[in-house]
Amino acid sequence: MSEIMKVEGLGFSWGDNLVIDSVDFIVKENELVSVLGKNGAGKSTLLKCLNKILRPNRGKITIHGEDISELGILTTSKKMSYVPQSITSNFSMDVFDVILLGRRPYINWSVGEKDRDLVSKTIDKMGLTDFAFRRFDRLSGGEKQRVIIAKAVAQDPNLFLFDEPTSDLDLKNQIEVMKELRKIVSEDNGKAAVIAIHDINIASRFSDRIMLLHEGKIISNGKPSDVLTPENIELVFEVTSRQVMGEDGILRIVINDEI
Amino acid sequence: MNTIYPGETMDHLSRKYEDKNRDHVIKILLLGLCTIVIAIFALGQGSSVNLDMLTTAKILLQIEEGSEIQRLILWEYRVPRVVFAIIAGTGLAIAGALMQGALGNPLVSPLTLGVASGAALGAALAIFLDLTFVSELLSLLWTGLTTIIPIMPVITFVGSDLVLNAFFFALLVVYIIIKLGSVRGVTAESYILVGIAITFIAGAIVQTMVYFATAEELSQLTHWSFGSLARVDSREVWIIGGAVIFLVPKSLEWSWDLNSLSIGGDEFAISTGVDPVATRKKILILSSLLTALIIAFTGMIGFVGLAAPHMSRLIIGNDYRKLIPCSAIFGALLMLIADTIGRTVIAPVVLPVGLMLSVVGGPLFIYLLLTNRGHH
Repeated sequence: MSEIMKVEGLGFSWGDNLVIDSVDFIVKENELVSVLGKNGAGKSTLLKCLNKILRPNRGKITIHGEDISELGILTTSKKMSYVPQSITSNFSMDVFDVILLGRRPYINWSVGEKDRDLVSKTIDKMGLTDFAFRRFDRLSGGEKQRVIIAKAVAQDPNLFLFDEPTSDLDLKNQIEVMKELRKIVSEDNGKAAVIAIHDINIASRFSDRIMLLHEGKIISNGKPSDVLTPENIELVFEVTSRQVMGEDGILRIVINDEI
Repeated sequence: MNTIYPGETMDHLSRKYEDKNRDHVIKILLLGLCTIVIAIFALGQGSSVNLDMLTTAKILLQIEEGSEIQRLILWEYRVPRVVFAIIAGTGLAIAGALMQGALGNPLVSPLTLGVASGAALGAALAIFLDLTFVSELLSLLWTGLTTIIPIMPVITFVGSDLVLNAFFFALLVVYIIIKLGSVRGVTAESYILVGIAITFIAGAIVQTMVYFATAEELSQLTHWSFGSLARVDSREVWIIGGAVIFLVPKSLEWSWDLNSLSIGGDEFAISTGVDPVATRKKILILSSLLTALIIAFTGMIGFVGLAAPHMSRLIIGNDYRKLIPCSAIFGALLMLIADTIGRTVIAPVVLPVGLMLSVVGGPLFIYLLLTNRGHH
């Protein structure tokens, strides 16, 4: 598996407040990497540094060996797609048009057959056919989130950066969206995803690797069963837990009652 | 039960998207046709010499000769005015659509950034303090040039010191907007807040002058602020028209950037390869220039820039590739209707177009918004 992104000595601070402190990691092809940590640990900030929304104070980020600080915004958007937690807007468009914005980096002015059909295909694949010509602002929070994810998929980047993609979704949709992301990352060669997420069980079930972020540092980085140990979880989330391996072969983290 | 084959849904969606677009284009073309018809009607109407549409069209196309007075009134008076109504409506509506999209705010109109308040300040200075240094400076420069290059035509800088002063001060506000665009961390809200502050400052200065003004000066300023199409001569119409035509294609080029910015805000825009800060800056410079160019001549006309883009959104949605042309046509249409009513309703008195726009367009705008909730 070849490397897609490499992060070395990344540091970011808001004024004197150090949010990200000497973070190093590598993301390889076909990998789904989850970033876990409590509120304010720096998960969103980390993703925004990776997508150049925020400019890091220190360190170097490369994608396919190229320093991202030297890439133009258009080139960057072809290589990676960031999905914010939610978007609020005073204006609206049909769902089809919103997903079409994923093709914006490739479109000059008129929409070609290829871009149009790719959007149709993505809508079909993501199960959004019934919404395709409904207004985006009239959808529920969960539906909107799926549309924004579909926009990122239509963008066809090498690296997806999702900031809590399942926060507004119900249980069934959380699983379906994660399955879809898993499929895209596993099947299409040359793709990977970094996901900031709160639900440790969803993270452990779908991720190849988990990075545990605590006070701006990555304190553990590896296979879910190695990272989500009772010791790590107690350090980061201040709760006690145990790992249970189900008969279905899925690792579950059970939080003990006493908090 | 219908069997859906793989690929069928995809084709169906693509087809539906194409159908929707075609439908929108047809609507825009029909609206354009409607504007042409109303323009011909407007050319026939006035305080005297009323012509039916067929005769108007025939005289314009030189199929019929018409009387000398008919030709004179048509070509010398009404054609420049109707053309200017179309240009001013188009320009202000496009400026409004651009500003709303770039600032992600539906309440924004061309008056929001303070360009018009700057123009009002310029007009007031020209009237009250007789500060006409802009036209004097231009005349001086021109005289200098004609001395050096003797073949240059001797032209006087339009009787209207007022317009030149208004334009100069509107440009000063555009300059502030440009400067603001280079400040680090400037947001959409910063532009709006600075615009509001400029409006307050310019307003206070004008009010101070009003406090000491004579009745005649007051009447002049009030007249300017009504919003009128009567201040331009045929030469100026073509100059402003040329500038508007030059600026419009640029705005169309930025359609995708505006789509991304207006739908998802700054972070979303970045993820689609749009630099929100740079994009907002260039769009606001262009739209405030358009506004300055028109408002200096017309006076306070803001409503068309607020209403035309929203009316367009009700019909064709928020895709700026279609929204810009549709807003332009709606702007022209609103301006034509308001001006024609203003010229004819209590003829020979001509009511200022700015007033008519709000009186006629306002209720129409509210009606459309209320009856079209939930549709495009």
